[in-house]
Amino acid sequence: MTDKNNNDHLARITNELADSVLMLPDEAILEEISEAGADPYEEAEYTRSVLRDAFQLLENVARRLLSLGHNVNPKYWQPRRGGYHNDCLECGSSVSFTTATGEMSGEALHGRCPARDHVIRRQASRK
Amino acid sequence: MASSPLPPTRSITASPKSALLVENDESLSNCFRRHLERDGYVVRTALNTQEGLRLFCDFKPFNVVLIDYYAPRSNGDKIDCLAPQVHGVQLAMAVRNLAPLQGIIIAALDFQGEADVPRPRELMQVSLLTETGNGQLRGLLEKMEVDRAIKALTPPELLKLQKFAERLVRGLGRRARGADWEDLLREAFLRTWIGAESRQNGRHWNKKVDFVRHLTWAMRSICDSWKRQRSNERETYLISELSTLDAEGRERTPLDYIASRRAPADQQLIDREEEDQVLALFNDDLEAKQVLRGLIDGLTNSQIKEKYRFDEKRYVAITRRIRKLLGNRAQA
Repeated sequence: MTDKNNNDHLARITNELADSVLMLPDEAILEEISEAGADPYEEAEYTRSVLRDAFQLLENVARRLLSLGHNVNPKYWQPRRGGYHNDCLECGSSVSFTTATGEMSGEALHGRCPARDHVIRRQASRK
Repeated sequence: MASSPLPPTRSITASPKSALLVENDESLSNCFRRHLERDGYVVRTALNTQEGLRLFCDFKPFNVVLIDYYAPRSNGDKIDCLAPQVHGVQLAMAVRNLAPLQGIIIAALDFQGEADVPRPRELMQVSLLTETGNGQLRGLLEKMEVDRAIKALTPPELLKLQKFAERLVRGLGRRARGADWEDLLREAFLRTWIGAESRQNGRHWNKKVDFVRHLTWAMRSICDSWKRQRSNERETYLISELSTLDAEGRERTPLDYIASRRAPADQQLIDREEEDQVLALFNDDLEAKQVLRGLIDGLTNSQIKEKYRFDEKRYVAITRRIRKLLGNRAQA
């Protein structure tokens, strides 16, 4: 047995057990949760809310940036240390948010996008 | 089985997709229709907002309603970009009022960015298309599909995702660094969401794959990358902080020692001890012990089934017993 295998044994057991959950018939998983004393439908909706919260998180970030006039390309969210990072295409200021808490940070949130404000002022002066 | 309070849902991959396209410009209409049809949508087209509203009322709901910002109210109407009421926006408002959950995309091709597009507060969350290329439209459609897939997940599917995530996080041990199953599932979703527009930074969902299966793959890959990153991370110390005296009283620093490629002997012992502890839990359950032994020896689940002549049903029951006992122990 190699050293690598030796180190991976527990991980293999965990992976196999995780996979075995997916093989369970629908009734069995509902039963398993009930046996543990929880309401399976409440638990299921809680899981859906975890997914929805993540969706809401991105929407909140996008709306906040939009309200400040920043323009970030959704393609360029880069995963970075427990969160994601992006830059405003107009002014280059950065923004990031953490996945666990949804906390947003970065210079883009400190104020309106100066590059866009400049364009708006120029357009207004032309009129 | 207990009666479900939720309506039954069909598999997302088996559902037909429909789109309503409201566009008076023929070349744009053809272009959008082509993109939609290529992505598997059945498309109904209206040339103006009146016809669009009629089609919407007759055939709603659609998977997506794509409306040109400057679509005319009726055929022959001149398009007035300076009009205070834009008919495309009015139609989007009407659709939203009739079906608040309807996925809508407004094609605002005359604007440079989302921030430039004037629209009522109620439509601030509606997706905007500002490029004619296929990339942005495809990204927006994919996001709608992901959203729809989440809504369509059944309670058993959601519970399986939860339990799967719990298992993987437990397997990370200390390398989880405080992350729980919610963090892992959230991360898998975010990667999928970003993957709708960028395969480089996110994880693209191939629609031929069931959404649950996709999320489980994403979670596994995230766990693997967490493991790799967290195994490679090293803390920084001053050499003087790490200096020790050897048996003969000489000062030695870690640089005096060459790292071995082998796992440290004490780590091997710890691993074996942990294995023995896990196996000892199943002293009264020979079948569970056989499955665990097989996994420790590196066998796949089909090899284990073959070796011990377990049929599928029996194997599922055994793994269930293992999960239950290990789960109870972890909770305790």
